[in-house]
Amino acid sequence: MAVVKSFMPNEGMGFTLENYKQIFTKELYLRSILNSVWISIVSAVIGIVIAFWGAKAVYNLKGRWACIFRNILNITSNFAGIPLAFAFIILFGYTGVFTQIGQKLNISFLANFNVYSMKGLLMTYIYFQVPLSILLLIPSFEGLKPQWAEAVSLLGGDAKVYWMKVAIPNLMPGILGVFSVTFANALAAYATGYALLTNNAMLLPVRVSEQFVGDLLPNKEFGSALAVVMMILMVIVTTLTSLRQKKRG
Amino acid sequence: MKKKFLPDKCIILLISFCWLMPLVLTFLYSIFCEWTRIVPTGFTLRYYKEIFTDSVFLAALVRSVIIAIIPVVLITVLMLLVTYVMILYVPDLNQVVSNLANIPYALQGVILSVTIIGLYAGAPGWLSNRFLLLTGAYCILVLPYIYRGIKNSIDSINVKAMVDAAQMLGATKWRAFIAIILPQMKTGILVAMMLSMSMIFGDFVIVNTIGGSYFTTAGIYLYKQMAKSGQKSSSMIVVLFITTLIISGIMSKIEQKQRKQKGER
Repeated sequence: MAVVKSFMPNEGMGFTLENYKQIFTKELYLRSILNSVWISIVSAVIGIVIAFWGAKAVYNLKGRWACIFRNILNITSNFAGIPLAFAFIILFGYTGVFTQIGQKLNISFLANFNVYSMKGLLMTYIYFQVPLSILLLIPSFEGLKPQWAEAVSLLGGDAKVYWMKVAIPNLMPGILGVFSVTFANALAAYATGYALLTNNAMLLPVRVSEQFVGDLLPNKEFGSALAVVMMILMVIVTTLTSLRQKKRG
Repeated sequence: MKKKFLPDKCIILLISFCWLMPLVLTFLYSIFCEWTRIVPTGFTLRYYKEIFTDSVFLAALVRSVIIAIIPVVLITVLMLLVTYVMILYVPDLNQVVSNLANIPYALQGVILSVTIIGLYAGAPGWLSNRFLLLTGAYCILVLPYIYRGIKNSIDSINVKAMVDAAQMLGATKWRAFIAIILPQMKTGILVAMMLSMSMIFGDFVIVNTIGGSYFTTAGIYLYKQMAKSGQKSSSMIVVLFITTLIISGIMSKIEQKQRKQKGER
């Protein structure tokens, strides 16, 4: 297949150790890798926490509310990349709506919020993680049987016991699966960061692509090495989560 | 356990509100002249008129549509033939093909485009043609989704028995495929195709690294406009977003219809 073919020579070329040495010794690239990993983990975790409550609400309510909510999630999950970055600039940019409100009402958090930073970037990442996470978590919630809750209350446990001891352990494989998907999603996300911070974005995908196209002198071998690091990161997270899933049975 | 509906409704309302707000504000931004204070002023549709008379934008939009359709059709035809032949003649290869079709899942965004550029950019003649490279890249991108769609719908019918029956009645295998198998898979394939098209339509990574200035799609043009005019780019976003919504709307219509038909059976 073309995929395999396109891979071999690149990896082969990238496998002089010099490239890897550069990645891990040069501040710029190390920072980009750490930033990417950090933002992927944090946005995935926060996304899942919010998604947990969202999916729980859908599970409890069902019916019309859940249906409408699902449609809203479907719509918002399409809103990503450049349009998303632009919307956040309108909201929180230098003359953004919330910045204005913050200045008028003296809320320094809003007035001084810098959307062109890692914090701003994190917000956009969370924005695109949550709808996806909820949509992926709903099926796991549907696997919870109402009888379990009844059994817990018959044995004298309250809602807290039910969620901590029964529901969450049962949801764990689903949650971990969602984590690995959203982690990979964030790690590969390029357009949002690129649009918000242009080439200054200290993110791995941006660094990879600039080795091939753009203002810098291209260095394809080095870029390939970076891409390999990126793939290894994804593989690590996927295998870690699937290992945990297996342990849980 | 007691069921408390109120907090759940609050959560749904809160998430919906927060998540719809950027969308709504982008829309509002596009229909007002100025928004330098809290409340926007001067309602106008000027920007929509502007982008629909902007030949560069329209050309970019057409390019976006073309590049979204060609790879999807190509891969669909190809994978249809592959799965049909596989089921009839070499059912043992099932696992191999599905493993191969899953490889592109591992090649997210930048990795895919970068490996292709690395391999072909310096290639002689038509091999380094950007349009061709882009088509190839999108083919790889949508392959797993198309394959899964085709596989799911072909698995739900008994191909072998139907083809045997058709042959007994004097039809060739090709005719059996066109007249009997294909119509039954239509909805499943259409949904997979729509999904793939909306993926390509919303793509920026691949087209920016491979196409770049050689092939300006609507996404690229939007990125270039962002620095120039806020209102114009927000109206462009609205247009692009509505296009995506229409695609996914058609998709869910088809799915619903299919579900209803299954229910009737």
